[in-house]
Amino acid sequence: MSSVFITGIGIVSALGIGVEAQREKLVAGKSGLKSAVFLNSIHSNTFPFGEVPYSTEQLFSLIPVNTKLQQSRLQALAALALAECFTYCSPVGTSIRQGLVNATTVGGMTDIEDRYFELILPENQEANTDWASGLDCATGTEHLARQFGLTDFMTTVSTACSSSANAIQYGARLLQQGILDRVVCGGVDSLTRFTVNGFNSLKNLDKEACKPFDANRNGLNLGEGAAYLLLETEASLQQSGNRPLAVLSGYANFNEAFHPTAPSPEGLGAFEAMKRAIEKAGLLPADISYINAHGTATLNNDESEGQAIRRLFGEHVPPFSSTKVYTGHTLAAAGAIEAVFSILSLQHQEIYPGLPFHTPMPTINLVPVKDFRQLQLKHILSNSFGFGGNNASLVFSNYD
Amino acid sequence: MINPLYIKSARAITAQDCFNSNDLSQASRPCTGNRFVYVEPDYSRYFTIMQLRRMSRLTRIGLVAAIECLKDAGIAKPEAILTGTGKGSLNDTEKFMHAIRSFQEGTLNPSPFIQSTYNALNGLIGLHHQVNSYNTTYVHSGFSLEHALLDAALLMGDNTIRNALIGSFEEMTDEHYIIKEKLGFWKSGAVSGEGSFFFFAQQDKTGAVLAIEDLQLLFEPDQQKIRNAVHALLAAHQLQWQDIDVYISGRNKDTRYDSYYDLVSEQLTPATTELQFKQLTGEFDTASGFGLWAATRMVETGQLFPALVLKKGTSTRIKHLLFYNQYYSKQHVLYLLKAVE
Repeated sequence: MSSVFITGIGIVSALGIGVEAQREKLVAGKSGLKSAVFLNSIHSNTFPFGEVPYSTEQLFSLIPVNTKLQQSRLQALAALALAECFTYCSPVGTSIRQGLVNATTVGGMTDIEDRYFELILPENQEANTDWASGLDCATGTEHLARQFGLTDFMTTVSTACSSSANAIQYGARLLQQGILDRVVCGGVDSLTRFTVNGFNSLKNLDKEACKPFDANRNGLNLGEGAAYLLLETEASLQQSGNRPLAVLSGYANFNEAFHPTAPSPEGLGAFEAMKRAIEKAGLLPADISYINAHGTATLNNDESEGQAIRRLFGEHVPPFSSTKVYTGHTLAAAGAIEAVFSILSLQHQEIYPGLPFHTPMPTINLVPVKDFRQLQLKHILSNSFGFGGNNASLVFSNYD
Repeated sequence: MINPLYIKSARAITAQDCFNSNDLSQASRPCTGNRFVYVEPDYSRYFTIMQLRRMSRLTRIGLVAAIECLKDAGIAKPEAILTGTGKGSLNDTEKFMHAIRSFQEGTLNPSPFIQSTYNALNGLIGLHHQVNSYNTTYVHSGFSLEHALLDAALLMGDNTIRNALIGSFEEMTDEHYIIKEKLGFWKSGAVSGEGSFFFFAQQDKTGAVLAIEDLQLLFEPDQQKIRNAVHALLAAHQLQWQDIDVYISGRNKDTRYDSYYDLVSEQLTPATTELQFKQLTGEFDTASGFGLWAATRMVETGQLFPALVLKKGTSTRIKHLLFYNQYYSKQHVLYLLKAVE
């Protein structure tokens, strides 16, 4: 299989807008979790959230060109990340076939839910209801594709929390089998009352900052954000002259048939996804320098992910941590956000700590990285596991 | 150009009585209001009452279509499950939104939230058949099913898998009908519809019925771009217009966009039989599943579905089929299909 080069990255999260803002906080060990200001929910102060610290209007004012977008928080977050993604590279000629593979769990729900009950009244006629089209997951992707000149090829993936990791894999296949020359892949989700209440109904939300892999963990924190990666083939690089930031060397998707929402305790799906991604990269588990874990801090996930890591790596578990303590769980954006963090780690040869950690899980006895650390990194494994048993793993490698 | 996908079995659940027979000879159910509504299968053949209670309307329908599709193919465990849906389980999404409002974000039943997730059906199919495998869901309106197909072709192209269960599922609700009405979906002739379709596809042609030889996806193309794309598609496969035995179009009587289908009709020679289906299914994001199901079944039985014939051609075989569908002129899809000999 031909190599897939990453030549651009863009990101928005609770840590701020842009790659530099993220790294500053990650290096300093500063979390973005706090009470929500812009989320319209009675739970805004009950739980910490990884909310992007700007109003939708403020976000719009920061987008270089936004004429083709709807007034939507979802689209604003994505547009800021996409704009940054393209700052790395030079424009390409028309002979390059390019596309957008986006991911989201609930599309423009944030933008619609406050007005939904008026919308469904037949007698309530507004002059312009275009905004209501945002309920479709495709709508945001299409506005973004028009704004960024990516209308030749586009799609949207939705596999819950593994959505953008699957978007990245699909993009890689599209390049490796000659359908496209370059493709922007990633995902976006904005905080919604819908999702907050969904996770609350599952009793999966921690009232304090989440504690991944800790014996006393008590659930996840929800976040929002967007991240995109520009993937290119060798042929596209020759035309664009872009310099690769890293290589997507392996990827796998593996669904386990266990339960509609909970992973199997032994982590069959997680194990297979990691194992297959590493094999696809032509590597051995011992070659992995660091794992950016899914680590949502729910009782189930960390147990099964931990078991799977133990089984795959045995006594030689590489340094690992979950960066969800910084951003919250950003659902469809998580895979891409953590892909960007993994690339940052490779670029700067550093790993970001899992913030306060106290007690290892007795069954697995794994301790995540607790301090900011500089070390030699060659290959990073990034996990995204989701509802419905949907597991995805990616391997990023140094470009040399 | 894609690696051909070989379809071995196909199942459909729609507003017509096409599920039990896997045929369309009885197609005559009219729409009510401006909506075609599912004829639901007899669930007691598939699920216990307890199982049924845990599933919603669309997940039941989708799962039954998937079960029968695999049964027809004689396959217990596919190597991958890929689906496409525009809206997923709308009933669950709406139920959860209402619950949030009614109970003022209090203690809520999580079931509708879980089942509103777009990949919920994929997970259920996996659970039902105990399949641990590649599994994904595309949610891009009129491209949803096509990306599931394309991804499956790519996975077979690099030998990640040898076969896959691929499908689409869609429903309409009272509330969403109103929203789409306000967005102008029904104002120019189109009728709302529903449908779920599953296909078992493989890398190898052994035992297969129909090959998807090629698939083209075009977003908001102008008319010239469609003309060019169809010509390029035929040329890439060394086909002339007179080689096309059957042309299936997604005409939906919408006066704003049906002219796109004329671009192809105008090119047809007298050899080609022209078919249309939305007079029986209505329009929905993943309606293209019906065209692919009908093509598979017509090739397998060697009979055209009479209820679909718009214009009869002189060709007596069903070998090369061209299928064109577009959804409100945004997502346009072209399929080049060929009977497996």
